Amino acid sequence: MTNELRANPALVIPCSGIGKVHGLISRESAYLVTDELAPKHTDTLCLALLVKGDSEAVAAVRSHTCITIDGCAKACAQKNVEIAGGRVAKAIQVAESLKNYRGAKPGNATALTDEGWAITRDIAGDVACASARLRADAELIR
Amino acid sequence: MSTEITKIGIISCSGEAIAEGTISRLATRRVLELLRPDVTVTLCLPLFLSGNDGERNFARTHPTITIDGCSKQCARWGTEKHSGPVSGALVVSDILGTESSGCHRSSRDASPVDKEAVWAVAERIAAEVDAVLAEVAPRDTGVAEISTAQCACSSPLPGSKLSIKGKTLSIPGLPLIFEQCAERGIPAHADEGAILLDSVKIYHCVAPEDEAEYRTALVAAFQEFKSGLKPAK
Repeated sequence: MTNELRANPALVIPCSGIGKVHGLISRESAYLVTDELAPKHTDTLCLALLVKGDSEAVAAVRSHTCITIDGCAKACAQKNVEIAGGRVAKAIQVAESLKNYRGAKPGNATALTDEGWAITRDIAGDVACASARLRADAELIR
Repeated sequence: MSTEITKIGIISCSGEAIAEGTISRLATRRVLELLRPDVTVTLCLPLFLSGNDGERNFARTHPTITIDGCSKQCARWGTEKHSGPVSGALVVSDILGTESSGCHRSSRDASPVDKEAVWAVAERIAAEVDAVLAEVAPRDTGVAEISTAQCACSSPLPGSKLSIKGKTLSIPGLPLIFEQCAERGIPAHADEGAILLDSVKIYHCVAPEDEAEYRTALVAAFQEFKSGLKPAK
């Protein structure tokens, strides 16, 4: 870990899968973190742009610590960050997280229910904690 | 199984960094769910771009329309790179112009402006779907006469039908999915229903409550396919 983490926010990258509610939860979790819970310390970027090989996107994941939020075990976000040469400090899979909410009806790929938003907020909280921990570790090393 | 023309594939960029990415995603969902549910299917763009031949066959086996948020056109670029020319390419920022300036990335902030933008783009996609369908319709009627040498990147390939809960459902590209499963050495055995279903779910939405019936129907269809007595077309 380098001192640049202090200056550079962590990148929170969701998969945004379009077929199931898992992708929507990943996307909205990322926005909760970057817009509400840790706006000064986190940011996001377009996964498709990274997969396309855009030079700025590739440089961004290589120069920032990344936290990925994937909908399913295919882990498109995590894999593509790693393929681009980025370091994934924490990888979350919504499908795994949902096992803690058995019987929950989080909504669908288009809209979340109140229950879905509650789950999304929990996942966002985990991501924000991970981001804070990364900053604390960077401070210690410094 | 009987043959049927495949559906129109819609691939959205869903770009996370901009509001137009959210609009592209939601507008695509609206077309799939509401405006043209019977003639459209989709696939996650990152899965398509980083996936194997199975995923990339998607745009080879479906006339495809890409929906990009911005002029970088990641969806179009990726689709054309891996699967050949698309049938249509829409860009949200071109459709909405300055109207997208008041839109939000997160749906929790959605305002009437966001909703209006999603409708406008969804209707534009639906019109594009109709245009592509009109183009391929004459070919649909003459499927039996179409040469197998015809370019697959813009012409639809046959799908198949399964009987689920007493209803006949179309599964576009099922013969190709079965071909891939056969190549992977998956036996046509009742225990393999879950693997077959997982392969189908890459391309198509299957309601959780229908999964058991899908597994049974897919195993039977796969056995039929492998037996060669009635090969899927």
